[in-house]
Amino acid sequence: MKKMSQLSLYGILWLTSAIFSLPLLLMLSGSLKTTEQLARNPYRLWPENIRWENYPVALESMPLLRYLGNTLILCTGCVLGTTLSCALIAYGLSRVRWRERKYFFALVVGSMLLPWHVTMIPRFVLISELGLYNSFWAIIGPTFLGDAFFIFLLRQFFLTLPEELFEAGRIDGLSHFGLFWKILIPLSKPAIATVALFQFVQTWNDFSGPLLYLNDPQKFPLAYGLERFVSSYGDQTHLLLAASVLFTLPIIVLFFLAQRTFIDGISTTGIKN
Amino acid sequence: MVGFVFLFAWPFAASFYWSLCRFDLINPPEFIGLENYRRLASELHSQQGFGLALTNTLYYSVISVSLSVITGVLLATLLSAKVKGQAIYRTLVFLPSVIPIVAASVLWIWLLDPESGMINYLLSWVGIPNQNWLNQSRSAISPAGLTEVSQWIHGGTLNLFGSKDALILMTMWGVGNFVVIYLAALSDIPGQLYEAAEIDGANLIRKFYHVTLPMLSPVIFFNLIMGLIRSVQTFASVYVLSEGTGEPGSSLMLISMQLFLSAFSDFEMGYTSAMAWILFVILLAATTLLFRTSKHWVHYRTSS
Repeated sequence: MKKMSQLSLYGILWLTSAIFSLPLLLMLSGSLKTTEQLARNPYRLWPENIRWENYPVALESMPLLRYLGNTLILCTGCVLGTTLSCALIAYGLSRVRWRERKYFFALVVGSMLLPWHVTMIPRFVLISELGLYNSFWAIIGPTFLGDAFFIFLLRQFFLTLPEELFEAGRIDGLSHFGLFWKILIPLSKPAIATVALFQFVQTWNDFSGPLLYLNDPQKFPLAYGLERFVSSYGDQTHLLLAASVLFTLPIIVLFFLAQRTFIDGISTTGIKN
Repeated sequence: MVGFVFLFAWPFAASFYWSLCRFDLINPPEFIGLENYRRLASELHSQQGFGLALTNTLYYSVISVSLSVITGVLLATLLSAKVKGQAIYRTLVFLPSVIPIVAASVLWIWLLDPESGMINYLLSWVGIPNQNWLNQSRSAISPAGLTEVSQWIHGGTLNLFGSKDALILMTMWGVGNFVVIYLAALSDIPGQLYEAAEIDGANLIRKFYHVTLPMLSPVIFFNLIMGLIRSVQTFASVYVLSEGTGEPGSSLMLISMQLFLSAFSDFEMGYTSAMAWILFVILLAATTLLFRTSKHWVHYRTSS
């Protein structure tokens, strides 16, 4: 009886994992087939003859490398902007005492609940007025002004640091800026790494930002560039799949490298709230 | 910090003012009072434009959020079983949720192809005929869907799943995010509770119902709210799945799609601002309502 239930448990686990991973496996195998093979036998997981050529062909027919370069510029800029601004603001909200701090924090948290729809148009108008339309700064710039969610995350972490360290720093005559750079940042590397990782993934995947602010195909990042090919490459599924694999692979690699950071980041935010 | 206020407070005010204007980005905003809101009300009544988008969003949000709570809790319970290779199963379930939405959409367009898609192939194993998925506007959970099912039972054809069901299916593939949160919460449940329940002679199902669910309720509540906000904001996937049109038959015209198109293809900034405000108020009301009801079903652990 015990054995039976163990066996069925494994059965269910296997089935569930299979259901979730099947689409990914199909994406990979589909990217290594010809159109003809895809039409004849789309469900065969192991292609009869693996066509690695699909990848160079995809790279040639879509300017993926250019898109990749743009994506990397955006990711670097946004990661820098977010980590710097959010760490500074979170420092101000956790380690500096000022009278209106409470209200300001409430404002930051409150803005998390605000759907992006409400600020979409004013932001667009503001960014166009500043002449940033169709520039990477339209997407990178706002990250230098902070992100509510990441500020919240960092503040919670900063609050766990022992006050004595800051006390000692103050006695040594460190300014706020000195305390920030010399004590807070070195101690908070894991938390800042989490924010950097999440921002990187977010920018890598971001679709609506480029859709709103970029109109020069030379400046498209991967997420947006790929979408532009969906309609025109409708009959070239194998190439689209190859491009999708290339687009997805770095995120999967990153996920495996930083699995703990990913999972802890998601679960702590869920529990702490 | 000034920047932060700047980025939120000013847009807040501007957006409210523009919602009372006619504004096309080129000419200066012209004050027209409540005209935009009146138009929204009439569209709500006639189920066009804003009204239709709201109905679509309601269908998608209610079904996808409730499904993601149910499957999320069940999957987490399953994946918390102490078995060999637990980490592998967890990773495989979580992995789809990190796949970029654009890539996932490209993939699902192919998987849901009526002729050569994997999903229809799998459905054919259980005897369900080919479904049209992204090529038709109907939705499974509707009076029409009910008619279809009863026809099918009586030996007729079955034409059940449409574009919104396709979107829900794709959303469910990425449920791993929620599963991770439930898993973390499950591991926080003290083992004594289960031991006590066992002594009282509770079986698996009773333990789940009387220990797991109440202990998970704060996290379920959190995920309910996050899921609601996220589903209302769903944009990239609908955009890619419908190639930026909200088609077929406006069935993928979710509220975010409607907002985007009326702002950046019709350039009706005032009208769009008004729509965004109504959406905000609805979302706020829904969240408040959830908070109100939460008193009756969310059990917060009191530290004693």
